[in-house]
Amino acid sequence: MTTIRLVDAATVTGKTKEIFDAVLLRERKVFGAESVSNIWRCQGHAPDLLEANWNRSRALMQRGRFSPLQRELIATAVSVANACTY
Amino acid sequence: MRLGVDEVGVTELMGVTEHTRAMATTAAALLLDSLETGRPLIAPLDVPASGDVSAIVDEIRAWSAAALGSPDVPLLWRILARNPHYLESTWRKETAVMAAGALGAHDKRRVALGVAMAVRGRYMIEYNAAILRRSGDDDRDILEVLGVVDHYTTLNTLSEGMQIDSDIRPQSV
Repeated sequence: MTTIRLVDAATVTGKTKEIFDAVLLRERKVFGAESVSNIWRCQGHAPDLLEANWNRSRALMQRGRFSPLQRELIATAVSVANACTY
Repeated sequence: MRLGVDEVGVTELMGVTEHTRAMATTAAALLLDSLETGRPLIAPLDVPASGDVSAIVDEIRAWSAAALGSPDVPLLWRILARNPHYLESTWRKETAVMAAGALGAHDKRRVALGVAMAVRGRYMIEYNAAILRRSGDDDRDILEVLGVVDHYTTLNTLSEGMQIDSDIRPQSV
């Protein structure tokens, strides 16, 4: 059970809307998402945190030498090691 | 997994993950600080070894010369050599899990480094980084692994802290 209300992407404005739009564009391309995923919606209450983590996501997961699959393999393994079910 | 890895690949990935996590636990339990230093909980076997473990130790030495650039048998393996069954079963698992299959051997080694970093296993961080550097990875590659570990530690912490339900499903399931 989520301990926080997930921000509705249809109601956001300003910086949060810009980032949610960018997230959805990316997630639609990568795994066919139809809506902004919960991990980003939960950060919508704090736009500065959302922006900082989205910028880091772009820097660390979308740029560099590794292929998307190589990064995804590491990310999945790390999430398992961190006992994260999301 | 969202990028087209099949069930064999996913199972191999989980094998690398659990194996590295277990090895990091083993190294920490033995008080192995790093590849070069430390006062381990259990004294390593002197090499060249004789008896039951000599063939496996020789195999590890040959592997180490190629993979680490050193003919020395890593401390962890020399400690496990105190128990021939422990050494052989673990070494056989290491070679099976880390060999190329559905996933490439180099990609698996980068995953192993990421897991070692995530669980803060210093010995296994040094061990896997040394193997990666020997096969061509440089500081920027190592930092790229760390970047993924760092970012996913952030996302994992947020999702666990807020108990976020997963809404991402594999496309093929």
